Amino acid sequence: MKLSYLWILIATLGVSFSVYSQDELSPERKQAVDSLALEKVRDLSKYISIIGSKETLWSEADRVIQRAEELFMTGSEIGVSSLVNPDDIKYYLVRKYFERLMRLNYKKVEIEWYNIEYMSDLQKQPDGTYVGVITIFQKFKGYDAEGRLIYQDTTKKDITVYVKRKETQIGGRLIGFWDVLLGDMRVKETSK
Amino acid sequence: MKPLVKNTAKIMMFLLAAIIITGGATSCKSKKKLAREKSAAEYTMKVEQAKRDLTAMLNGTTNWSLEEQDNRLNVIKSYNIDDDEVIDLITKVESKISMDKAEAERKDEEDRLKREEDEKIKDAAAKYEEFDNQLNAISKSTTIDAANKKITLSLEQFATPDVPVLIIISQYGGVNDYDRPTTISKFLNYLKDKKQYQYQVESVKRDGLGKITEVELIKK
Repeated sequence: MKLSYLWILIATLGVSFSVYSQDELSPERKQAVDSLALEKVRDLSKYISIIGSKETLWSEADRVIQRAEELFMTGSEIGVSSLVNPDDIKYYLVRKYFERLMRLNYKKVEIEWYNIEYMSDLQKQPDGTYVGVITIFQKFKGYDAEGRLIYQDTTKKDITVYVKRKETQIGGRLIGFWDVLLGDMRVKETSK
Repeated sequence: MKPLVKNTAKIMMFLLAAIIITGGATSCKSKKKLAREKSAAEYTMKVEQAKRDLTAMLNGTTNWSLEEQDNRLNVIKSYNIDDDEVIDLITKVESKISMDKAEAERKDEEDRLKREEDEKIKDAAAKYEEFDNQLNAISKSTTIDAANKKITLSLEQFATPDVPVLIIISQYGGVNDYDRPTTISKFLNYLKDKKQYQYQVESVKRDGLGKITEVELIKK
């Protein structure tokens, strides 16, 4: 009887260790997850550029907005600032932000993100979620019908990143994946 | 007078015999001594050479292969040199050669596994090369229309546009880490948006009609 308790204990410890080792990140795996989160931010950069471009067809922009929305946690907000009043930062829900971006009153819009890097590394939280902050610089240029540059600014923004290990069943297989979701995008600085 | 001559002749004979005997004995003694000295000198040289070779092997300053070092060590051991320094060096060199052999075997095994892995990657790449090229072509399309046409054509190979696409982001310790699973329709459009194909097809599953039902990619 005592022996069977011992076996149960060993089996439980074994299962716990297996689950623990899946969630725990070795430096190599951590690097891959770090890169994945950065890649998601680069994806967002590409989507913002497509949505903002006046050359993008409405149907394409609508599809890309859906893809971009999927990158964010529900209820996330994106900050918008202007050189006219840099301290007046307005925050919009992700969908609202993209729709607004699509309808900006310029003939041509160019949006470029650069210096995309971690401001604070992914850190494991008590609930197992890894949270970090990625900083980006966004260069915005708006042109009129004559092709004249009528507005431009550079904004430094911080994006909170949440990474959690999840599991899903695909084709009878249990797949463990890292779900990267973006949180609020906060404006830190606005300059010309 | 006659006995005196006779005696003198006898004495002379004795003297001659004594000289011959003494001379011969001295010559024999000197040859043995020379031989001993020669042998001792040779032994000393052998010991010194053994010390030099063993030290070089220990410090890794010889160009000899492991096999050559092993052979030389065995020759030195066969001399049965009674010298503390040589005996100590032999023990150390034996241990070093043994470690070097283990390291060489480990490296050989590592190389073999790497070759096998490279072969596998090469085989896999060749197996799905056409598919990879197709996905790459979508990402390199110069216009949205061209990309959409390629996407429509590509989707014909799949059972449904919702066929799951699994993307491996890392492989360590027998564990595959995946990105969030997506569908083939979303993935092909993603390639169009990103204008970049940084993956390689790892595996493809098909149904009875030959249509693809699952794709596994690995991030390069």
